[in-house]
Amino acid sequence: MNGGSEETLATGVLGEGRHDPGTPPAGLRRAPAGVDGLTTEHLIINMGPQHPSTHGVLRVLVEVDGEEVVAAEVSVGYLHRGIEKLAEYRRYDAVGTLLDRGDYISGMMAELAFALATEQLMDVEVPRKAHWLRSLASEINRITSHLIWYGTFGLDAGGMGQFLYGMRDREALLDILEALSGSRMMFNYIRPGGVLADMPTGLDAKIRAFLGTFDQYLDEHDQLLGGNEIFQARVKGVGVIDRSTALAFGLTGSNLRGAGVDFDVRKARPYAAYPELDFEVPLGTNGDAWDRYNVRMAEMRQSARMIGQLIDGMPEGPHMAKVPRIIRPRAGEVYASVESTRGETGIHLVSDGTEHPYRMHYRGPSLFAAQALEEILPGHLIADVVVIIGSTDVMLGEIDR
Amino acid sequence: MLPATADIKRLLAAIDGATVAEEALGVIARVPLAAVNEALGAIKAAGYESLVDFDGIDTGELIELTYRLRSFSLDLEVHVKSTVAYGGTIESVWYEYPSALMPERETAELLGIHLAGHPNPKRLLTTDGVEPLLRKDVAIRTVEEVKAR
Repeated sequence: MNGGSEETLATGVLGEGRHDPGTPPAGLRRAPAGVDGLTTEHLIINMGPQHPSTHGVLRVLVEVDGEEVVAAEVSVGYLHRGIEKLAEYRRYDAVGTLLDRGDYISGMMAELAFALATEQLMDVEVPRKAHWLRSLASEINRITSHLIWYGTFGLDAGGMGQFLYGMRDREALLDILEALSGSRMMFNYIRPGGVLADMPTGLDAKIRAFLGTFDQYLDEHDQLLGGNEIFQARVKGVGVIDRSTALAFGLTGSNLRGAGVDFDVRKARPYAAYPELDFEVPLGTNGDAWDRYNVRMAEMRQSARMIGQLIDGMPEGPHMAKVPRIIRPRAGEVYASVESTRGETGIHLVSDGTEHPYRMHYRGPSLFAAQALEEILPGHLIADVVVIIGSTDVMLGEIDR
Repeated sequence: MLPATADIKRLLAAIDGATVAEEALGVIARVPLAAVNEALGAIKAAGYESLVDFDGIDTGELIELTYRLRSFSLDLEVHVKSTVAYGGTIESVWYEYPSALMPERETAELLGIHLAGHPNPKRLLTTDGVEPLLRKDVAIRTVEEVKAR
């Protein structure tokens, strides 16, 4: 190999600020094949969009030199439904149905971001109980989503049992969400002004019963997957996203905190009931897949802790402010963001004073994680690709929107 | 948290036509299209290490671009706005902020503008021939039109 090809294969260049002007990201570069007549020709593997480990319909073009990835290009758009365009034709109370189909396994948080944005343009005081119910729904939804990630991440690394146990706990939580909102996944529960319905009688006891066993189950989950030597060998030191790379590629959520950056929207820009809750923000150190695993497992513990506090301290009062049947926020432009399961979900909302949003931009954190894959994957072995994708917990619904 | 408008003004002092104001959205710096990269470079040098969002709005007359920048170390956020004509060309800012790579592609295809200096200026979400869907002159089909297909 000559010196030029070594430079071409360098990874992590962008994040360290040493990149040359006009040099594309590492993942987009095409390394020369057979430059000295001895190396084998590179092979381009088309992975996805119909691939079980791509968590939806992610397509990655992976260029390999033997077993080693030398370039990767992420191709998305297979699930584009035009959510942002459709929102311009929906009334404000109906946009939540679209956002549920963005990040479709944790829709509550996107609904909440939209409600927070809309309320900035309305003269409305959201009742305290609505804030608490919003946080309760969000945290339950966060655990259901993390359990899916836990199960499928284990599948990516070659495990099977953890998926079944994870689904068992998730079913119990989906029953609770169904009792609370009327739906198991497509909620449209959090609306501008409050939430759709109050907590039904007896649900608190059901949630307490779940919390009574969940900490122990979580220990078992952690032992089953995290305690497995093979799993540890697959994830430790793999897919390192250091602090500078995470910031350069706009990562948020567990992917950012896994790199040790202490930023959680619930703490940094408190909303709903979070200012009144006692919780910690778990952080990683190296930014590898193992750190991201540990951060998400710890986040589930913190969410369970918050759910206990929310049930114990649930205030009395109305769950919905008095809002007009047809909402017409005043004209203006606002931005609201929340800490969703996968990072910072943001809504950039422009209103022209009519009953439909003039423009709604939906920032899905997974889009930023997906584009960072182009920088992270080169230099790894082909078998690590599925583990790294799984560790970033991307959701194609919110990438493609 | 919001930075002081005077601080942002000082950063952009060398750019002709740059204005800074605090509005409902936050602190907004409006700069001419040709000076976007220079403005973002100056703001990045001041510690705003991450571009957390980028999108475009069809105002009915032109496309308004919004760059949302954040400094995690200073805990500050600022928006940079600029405008481009329909079918116009914007210079990619990926060199300053690699997180703009995919959002720029998305904005270009959905609002019908061109990208210059982008390492991979392909469509992101739709296929060739699809209209710029987020333009106001592109309407979605009615139920009747869909049924009639």
